[in-house]
Amino acid sequence: MMHSSRLTRRSVIKGALGLALATTALTTLGLPMPAKAAGKKVIIGAFADGGLTPFKEKIIPLAKEQGFDIQFLEDEYGVTLEKWFADAQSGAGQYDLYLLDDPWVPQFGAANVLEDLGAGGIDGSDKDWIGPMIDMGYWPPQKGPRVKGFENAKPTLICVPFVGDLQTLTYRNDVFTGGAPKTWDEVIAKGKEGVAAGKIKYPVVFRGVSGNPIVTSWYPVFLSFGGSFFDDKWNPIFNSAEGKASADFFVGTMKQNAPSGVVEFDSDQEGAAILGGDAGAIIQYSGNALKADDPAQTKVAGKLDFGVVPKQEKAIAQMGIFIAGVPKSAPNKANSIEFLKWYVSAETQAKLSEAGSIPVKRSAFGIAKPGNRLIPVALQQLDAGALPRPRTPDWAKVEELLGIELNKALQAGSGGGAALDTAAKQVKDYLTTAGYY
Amino acid sequence: MQNGMQARKYRLQGAGLDLALPYLMLAPGLTVVLGVLVYPLWDGLRASTRAYRYGSPVADVGFHNYVQLWSDAQFLNSLWVTVKFVALSVSIEAVLGFALALFCLREFRGIRLLRTVLIIPMVITPVVVAILFRLIYASDAGMLTALSVAMGGGGVQILGNPLNAFIGLVVLDVWEWTPLMFLILLAGLQSLPHEPFEAARVDGAGSWRVFADLTFPMMRPVLAIAIVLRTIDAFGTFDQVFVLTRGGPGEATRLISIYGYDTAFKFQQTGYAAALFVTIGLVVLALAFSAIRLLRRIDAS
Repeated sequence: MMHSSRLTRRSVIKGALGLALATTALTTLGLPMPAKAAGKKVIIGAFADGGLTPFKEKIIPLAKEQGFDIQFLEDEYGVTLEKWFADAQSGAGQYDLYLLDDPWVPQFGAANVLEDLGAGGIDGSDKDWIGPMIDMGYWPPQKGPRVKGFENAKPTLICVPFVGDLQTLTYRNDVFTGGAPKTWDEVIAKGKEGVAAGKIKYPVVFRGVSGNPIVTSWYPVFLSFGGSFFDDKWNPIFNSAEGKASADFFVGTMKQNAPSGVVEFDSDQEGAAILGGDAGAIIQYSGNALKADDPAQTKVAGKLDFGVVPKQEKAIAQMGIFIAGVPKSAPNKANSIEFLKWYVSAETQAKLSEAGSIPVKRSAFGIAKPGNRLIPVALQQLDAGALPRPRTPDWAKVEELLGIELNKALQAGSGGGAALDTAAKQVKDYLTTAGYY
Repeated sequence: MQNGMQARKYRLQGAGLDLALPYLMLAPGLTVVLGVLVYPLWDGLRASTRAYRYGSPVADVGFHNYVQLWSDAQFLNSLWVTVKFVALSVSIEAVLGFALALFCLREFRGIRLLRTVLIIPMVITPVVVAILFRLIYASDAGMLTALSVAMGGGGVQILGNPLNAFIGLVVLDVWEWTPLMFLILLAGLQSLPHEPFEAARVDGAGSWRVFADLTFPMMRPVLAIAIVLRTIDAFGTFDQVFVLTRGGPGEATRLISIYGYDTAFKFQQTGYAAALFVTIGLVVLALAFSAIRLLRRIDAS
């Protein structure tokens, strides 16, 4: 028997309707699945940084043993702030936990998009926290000036410190044979001797790219010269005499003693210069410092030591910790908070320290065998002085304005003080428009 | 009688269906257009008249955002950089694209392969192109520096110098988008009638005379379309700058798209960024209309 299968308009419409209904049914059935199948699933968003390597390699497997199903999603630093802020604000619920850079906390706090972790059972008053680090998790801040609209608000713990990163000095022990250089003058003078002896090519290296990179590199120099950024009323005072001296030193002396292309250097080129054996000293976060003893990642293994940042007046570093926040839209909120409670416990922090990462609890600094030589130096730096960046939701814009002017002065190799004057005016104008005064 | 009424009812139903059917058929498409084109446009326009704080609207400010743009030094600088970038890139691409199209118009052995090779840059993802150029330009380990050092020179500063970085960006754009010009112009050249050219040759006209009196005048409409398309596209250049320079050094390569992106997403000034993009949209629209008018004038002449 012959069977004819003619394609008619009716059969096409019926087929299309059937397909549409089937797709709708499958989608409807499929949508709630991720939330229901959560168990102890935690989706962590992080920016790619070597400072998180010990966490990824050693702590995530431990978390799995505790029954947590960790999904670790990494992005490039430059896009994470906007990506996560959009996720949190739109309630898209793509993440359970953000590992923020600490200056971003005020922006998320002011937008009220993060969970109250204190209410979730995390104790912000635990004396074991490193004080300045847990302070960064509160919005509005417990200490220091507050922006308008939040003067009388009760500080809420919206983030908890995750990796206690801060700047320290990494130096070549065959160049600075008497130990870590104590002052900037010593860094330059001994570094020049190292260049003359053919041990290194440049006394120092730093990041010169406009925006966050150059401001991050200049900041410890600025602090060491005794500069302050804002007064109690949010007036920019970074263009004080101390600030200008630091900027002139940075764009002048430091540039002259750095690689010629330093204006375009970011952390990858900076890391290559110190780990490749070209530079004598660098102030950096833990990302590249953790590679200092690994012959697979450095040409000068055994020749790199760590110390407290050099001083002109004070030896103060910039703190830039990884800090964890749970978005209100997190699909696995309870799991995230449970994970954080486990992660910040003294036991897990000790494991983190063993793994080689800078912990956020003081007890973890004192363990018998920290996994990296950097950890005790980080504690020394904390005790010597380490400051966070100003706690304002507009820091990204302030950093951008200042970064552009500093970068221009760095290109010119002079005019650091004038650059700060220009930036201070721009910052003041911007904050005036934003209603700060 | 009853049959007559029933027939009339059916006729009316049929007529109603006939009337409604086109609209019913259009409805899904129209819904999609309203949803993905008109609504976002309307929402953007509405956002441009509002002030935002911490990512949320706090007040209606009318045209204040639009007025503020013209006293914003960073916006004006970005606009100027963008205009310079578009003018320089598109001009070079037009000249090079035309020259390549004229060259590839001839038939010789290997011409098909050459035409294929010439359009390769255009099909590579812009981000990949930017990464390639970063590897070429980097002053510490870039190809240009390696070449210079091998020849006894020093490091080559491209991305750390404002002028060089700008030129480097133009070179990247020209490398990537000349093939588009080439393709459009080659298609235009291939569609020209043969008779006028044969007649000119019989009359003894040289290559330059043929080009100046025949090829170029006949190609003007195609050239104008290619330039308009590239100009509109170049105004929106983002990926390459984002990867290559992020707008630096200083503000040397900060195109309007980068400034708008930072304003909207990094600094959370949503309303101001919306006003900025609406303004740029209007500028590009004005350019497109001017070009169309120019085309009509060319046609008329």
